[in-house]
Amino acid sequence: MLKIKDLHATAGGKAILKGLSLEVKPGEVHAIMGPNGSGKSTLSYVLAGRGGYEITGGSVEYQGKDLLSLSPEERAREGVFLAFQYPVEIPGVSNKYFLKAAYNAQRKHRGEPEMDAGAFLKFVKEKAKLVEMDPAFLNRSVNEGFSGGEKKRNEILQLAVLEPKLSILDETDSGLDIDALKIVANGINKMRGPKRAFVVVTHYQRLLDYIVPDFVHVLSGGRIVKSGGKMLAQQLEKEGYGWIETEGAPA
Amino acid sequence: MTELLSDLSLPAGGAAWLDAARAAALASFRAQGLPTLKTEGWRFTPIDAVSKTDFEAARRPRIRGGFGSRALCPITFHRVVVQNGRVLPGGEGSSYSGLPAGVRVQSLAEALRDDPDSLKTAFSRGFDQDGLPFASLAAALFQDGLVIKVARHVRLDKPLGVLFDSGDNASGRPQMAHVRLLIMLEEGASAEIVEESVGSGSARFWTNLLTQVALGEGASLKHYRLQRENEHGVQTSASFIEAGPRARYESHAFSFGGELVRSDLRVRLAGAGAECALNGLALVRDREVVDHHSRVEHASLGGTTRQLYKAVLDEKARYVFDGLVDVRPGAQKTDAWVYNKNLLVSEDADVHSNPEFRIRADDVSCKHGGTIGQMSLESLFYLQSRGVGAADARRMLVYAFGSEMIERVGLEPLRVALAAALHARMPEAIEEAA
Repeated sequence: MLKIKDLHATAGGKAILKGLSLEVKPGEVHAIMGPNGSGKSTLSYVLAGRGGYEITGGSVEYQGKDLLSLSPEERAREGVFLAFQYPVEIPGVSNKYFLKAAYNAQRKHRGEPEMDAGAFLKFVKEKAKLVEMDPAFLNRSVNEGFSGGEKKRNEILQLAVLEPKLSILDETDSGLDIDALKIVANGINKMRGPKRAFVVVTHYQRLLDYIVPDFVHVLSGGRIVKSGGKMLAQQLEKEGYGWIETEGAPA
Repeated sequence: MTELLSDLSLPAGGAAWLDAARAAALASFRAQGLPTLKTEGWRFTPIDAVSKTDFEAARRPRIRGGFGSRALCPITFHRVVVQNGRVLPGGEGSSYSGLPAGVRVQSLAEALRDDPDSLKTAFSRGFDQDGLPFASLAAALFQDGLVIKVARHVRLDKPLGVLFDSGDNASGRPQMAHVRLLIMLEEGASAEIVEESVGSGSARFWTNLLTQVALGEGASLKHYRLQRENEHGVQTSASFIEAGPRARYESHAFSFGGELVRSDLRVRLAGAGAECALNGLALVRDREVVDHHSRVEHASLGGTTRQLYKAVLDEKARYVFDGLVDVRPGAQKTDAWVYNKNLLVSEDADVHSNPEFRIRADDVSCKHGGTIGQMSLESLFYLQSRGVGAADARRMLVYAFGSEMIERVGLEPLRVALAAALHARMPEAIEEAA
C-alpha cells in the first residue's frame, strides 16, 4: 500500500529526513517511535502534503501512485488520513458542516452522489458513538474550545467518517488521560481491518498497549535505525532511546 | 464639488427656526471645508469620489419600483422606501400603515410641512459637528427623511425596514441626496430598525445621512444597517446617539459594497448603566474604501461598550477603523471593549486600524485590540487534509471569519439573507483560484 524509499526532506534548508525507507501493507499496523526531533512529525506532514517541506530525494508510492505529486486534498480523497498532533481550531465552521464537506468531497471523487444533510447527520451521529462523543459537539465550531481529549476524539471521529485506507496517527496519545486514551484507542481498533493500514507515530509506548502494532520502527536522525515486533516498544520504554542512538549512529 | 461649496442654496420656505438652523449648519460646513488627507479623522480616507464629482440634487429616478427584489430585508417587516432621497408614500412601495398605537413613522418633509413646531425641540438639540462636515451639509440641505417615534413602554411589534434605493434620473448625471433621520424612543420603549441601501443606477449616487437617536431611560434600539451600493455608490453617514439611564443601543453595520463608505457613530452614554454594542462587517474589494469611525463617550456611571468590527479585504481595497472610547471623569465602573479584526486576501489591500481609549476615571475595565492577518495556512492545510479542495477551503475560512458578525443578528430572516449575501460576495482572488 505504501512504499517509502530513501526519502530525504528539508525544512527551512535544514535536512530532517535523511534516507527513510518503510513499507506498509494492507491490514498492518506500524508504530514509528523515536526521540524528539528525530523527524516523526515531519514524516507525518510530508505524507499528508503539508507545505513548508522540500523533498530532496527518494520516493513515496501509495497504491501504485506517486503520492508526493498529489495535492493534500487529492491524497485525502485517495484515502490517506493524518490525525494531527495539534488539531487546528476553526472558529465559524461547524464540525458538522466540515465533516459533510470532507465526506462529500471524497464521494464526489469516487463518482458517487453526495449525501444530503439529513442522511449525513444520521450517519455521523452513529460514528460519534464510536468515540463516545456527545452529538452536541457536531454543532460547535471545529475544535474551538475543545479540551485536548475532545480534540483527539474529534480526529478519530473524522477518521471514522472518512474511512481512510491509510491512517497516520501523529502523537495521538499526547495530552490524553488514560480514560480518553482508551476511548480513542478503542475507536481506532474498531476501524482495523484487512484492507486498512495504520502508521502510529508516538514518543511513548503507552499507546501501543492499546493499539497493538505488528511492527515497531525506531526513527533517529531522520532514518529508521531499527525495526522489530511489538516487544521492541517495551524495550524502548524500559531502556530509553540512548542505546539506539549510539547503535544507530553511522560509523 | 468645489462649485458646490460656493454655490449652495438652501431649501427655503420652512419655519424661521428651521431656516436659521440650516444657515448655521451651512456656515459650519463652510468653516470646516471638505476634508482632505490632512484633516484629522480623514487621513486615510480619500474622498475623491465626492470632491471630484459634479453632483446635482437627486430627482425622481427613471425606473421606479422593483426594489422588493433587490432588498435583503423581508417584505413582512414594516417598510418605508426612501427613493433618491424622497420618502415614498404608503402604497407606492412603503407599507407602514399597520403600526401599533404609540408608534409614529412619518416623512420628515411632511412633518415639517404639517406641524413643524413638533420637531423644534429635537432639531434644536444640536450635535457635535466637529470633524464631520458632511453631517453639517446634511443638516443644511436635507429635503426629506424620517421621524420615528416610539412612545413610553411601547414595543414596535415587528422590525421597521427603511430602504434607501437609488437610481439614475432622466439626466443620467451623478446625484446626491441629503437625508435626515430622527429616531426617538421614550422611556422603556423598544424597536428594531433595519436600514438598507441598494444602488441600481449606473451614474454615481451619493447618499449623505444624518441620524439622531434619543433613547429614554431603559429604552432599547437595535439598529441594523446593510449597505450594498453599486460600484459607483457613495455613502457618508453620521449618527448621534444619546442613551439615557440603562438604555441600550445595538448597531450592526454590514458594508457589502460601494466606492466610498464612511460611517461615523457618536454615542453618548449619558445615563447611568447605559450600554452600546457596535458591530460591523465590511467586505471590501476592487479600489473601494470603507471607513468605520466610532466615538463612544462614557459620561456616566457603569456604562458598557462592546465593539467588534471586522473586514475582509481583496484586491486594492482599503479599510479604515477608528474606534475611540472616551471615559469622562466620574464615569466609574465603565466596562468597555473595542476590537477590530481584519482578513487580507490580497497583498495590495490595506488596513488602518486604530482602537483607542481616553480614560479619565480610575475604576474602569477597558480592553482593546486589533488584528490584521492573512488566511491561516494551518487552517487551510487542515481542511485540505480532509479532502476539501483549496478554493472551497478558502471560501469556508472567509465565510467563517465573517459569519461571526452575522450570527449576532437576532432577526432570523435577516440572518439567512446576510449569510447568502456573504456567500455571494466572496473575494475575487478566491473565485479565480476555484
